[in-house]
Amino acid sequence: MSKILIVDDDRDLVEGQKIYFEGKGYEVKTALSMKDGIETLKGYKPDIILADLMMEHYDSGFVFCKKVRDNPSMRDVPIIMQTSAPKEIGYTFDPSNPKGKEWMKVDEVVVKPVPLDHLLGKVEQFLARGKK
Amino acid sequence: MDEKMKVLVVDDEEGMREGIRRVLQKRGFDVDTASDGSAAIELLDKSRYDLAFIDLKMPGIDGFEVTQYVNDNFPASTVVVIVSALATVEAAVEVTRHGAFDFLVKPFTPKDLGAVADRAVEQRKLILDREKYLSQLNSEQNLSRQLINSLQEGLVVLNIRHKPVLMNPKAEYFLGKIFNEELTVQDLFKEPKIREAVETFLPSPPGQEAPAKVFQLKQEDRMLQIRVAPYVRDSEVGGAIVVISDFTEEWKNEQDKNRFVSMVAHELKSPLAAIINYINVIQTGMFDANAPKVHEILERCKIRGEALLELIRDLLYINKREAGKIEKSIEKLNLKEVIFSQLEFYKVQADVRKIALTMKSAQEGPCFVKADRADLDRVFMNLISNGIKYNRDNGALIVDIGREDGFIKVSVKDSGIGIGPGEIKNLFQEFYRVRNSTTSGISGTGLGLATVKRVLGEYNGRISVQSEPDKGSTFTVYLPAVDG
Repeated sequence: MSKILIVDDDRDLVEGQKIYFEGKGYEVKTALSMKDGIETLKGYKPDIILADLMMEHYDSGFVFCKKVRDNPSMRDVPIIMQTSAPKEIGYTFDPSNPKGKEWMKVDEVVVKPVPLDHLLGKVEQFLARGKK
Repeated sequence: MDEKMKVLVVDDEEGMREGIRRVLQKRGFDVDTASDGSAAIELLDKSRYDLAFIDLKMPGIDGFEVTQYVNDNFPASTVVVIVSALATVEAAVEVTRHGAFDFLVKPFTPKDLGAVADRAVEQRKLILDREKYLSQLNSEQNLSRQLINSLQEGLVVLNIRHKPVLMNPKAEYFLGKIFNEELTVQDLFKEPKIREAVETFLPSPPGQEAPAKVFQLKQEDRMLQIRVAPYVRDSEVGGAIVVISDFTEEWKNEQDKNRFVSMVAHELKSPLAAIINYINVIQTGMFDANAPKVHEILERCKIRGEALLELIRDLLYINKREAGKIEKSIEKLNLKEVIFSQLEFYKVQADVRKIALTMKSAQEGPCFVKADRADLDRVFMNLISNGIKYNRDNGALIVDIGREDGFIKVSVKDSGIGIGPGEIKNLFQEFYRVRNSTTSGISGTGLGLATVKRVLGEYNGRISVQSEPDKGSTFTVYLPAVDG
């Protein structure tokens, strides 16, 4: 059973995605803040992470991703960032361009709301790539 | 003649002197006479003469010297006519080359004198007109210069050789350079695109001037707007005009507005994303329509939808308020009464979580303020509802009403989760919500405290907050007291 960690401060969004992915046979852990997310990762290694951008602070998602990447055992875990933050909030880059992704250390950026089947497709794609 | 012209007649022969005086007085001149050169100089020093009829040959200081004196001391103001005998006419002509306007040969008829006087008057008038024109021009130039110097915008004019010909003080201030004709475009503008813009205007074929270009330039904490336009003279580009204005205020307002709009977009999208996400789950068909999970999900969708509606209502209210479209009826209100009815309203909500609501006051009698009732309700509704929302179960909310230095002071103290010191400074900003795992289940628009602060500001009131994480927060409101 593949393991997903969902980190997002909107507990309904987290709940909906948890129900969905559990229904699809995944083991799902959730965290409602960057802090919780980092805490959860101590002693837990998911196969993929879905992370929000704006949580405790407007850039919590960045900080979270950086911390994940700083941990050698987590370096290869794919991260999909889900965001509904428009760039006018103060991000000076476009998260959908390749440079932005590299800067954020994420593998994929999707804009909320993401249709669940689309999100599932992305998750499966990354997991399949990891198995190769 | 608008004003009598003043004439000085200098002649050592009394008959001639008086003769000329009579003729000229008849013609309306104001005449003074002098019998020799030194007397003439004395008079010339005392008052200004429009015309002078000067005898060439006089004992002592002669006419030649007096003319020279006039030219040295009152050039272009006194018109000199030399009066000379036929024998000395060559000398008289010579004097006209050295500053005298005309000469008159003795003997002459009153008509001859009149004709020469008329010509001299014309000359004097020409001089007066030119003086008037020059002084006018001078004062106009002074005025334009003063206007240019007092502009709030920086102004730089460059000639076709890219050299500054004018820089007002504000331009010197913005560019950090003191005007000097040898400054180059490179010295003046560090920004390459501005240099390029200045240079594209210089020179360019007639009728093909490039349109003005506008740049925004961040300089420390200022935002400058720089406008470069061609300076057209006689339908040819004569150089470039650079206008520099401080755009900081407008820029900041624009930034704030953009920020607000994107925050609104984010706050509107979040609940919708959650709702759509839930609907998506139901659509997968993984649950039976009557499964308890489905009811749970629908309930959450409803709650989020309602919160979204509340947010939209708040936004519209703020917008209406900003536009000054909220009608207010200012009246004298007893704050104790206002707060008491708000506490009554929230009692049910507080009871559910067993939070004790208390109102106390060391102040006897009513506490009057002048305000619109709906505004006060909004302020205390927000504070009380926050005090309940962010409280712990079995907690307490205490409202204390008192007086302090001409203000009614109301403190709303809860026993809730508290606010971290890093978060207090942002608390009154629109859409700022303390986001952590404890607050993620608490709904709110993020507009409450921002609105409270704004409303209190309109009544010269203020709000402050003290808080200790995990112990609770105290919000203190001050409103100007009104005597009962």
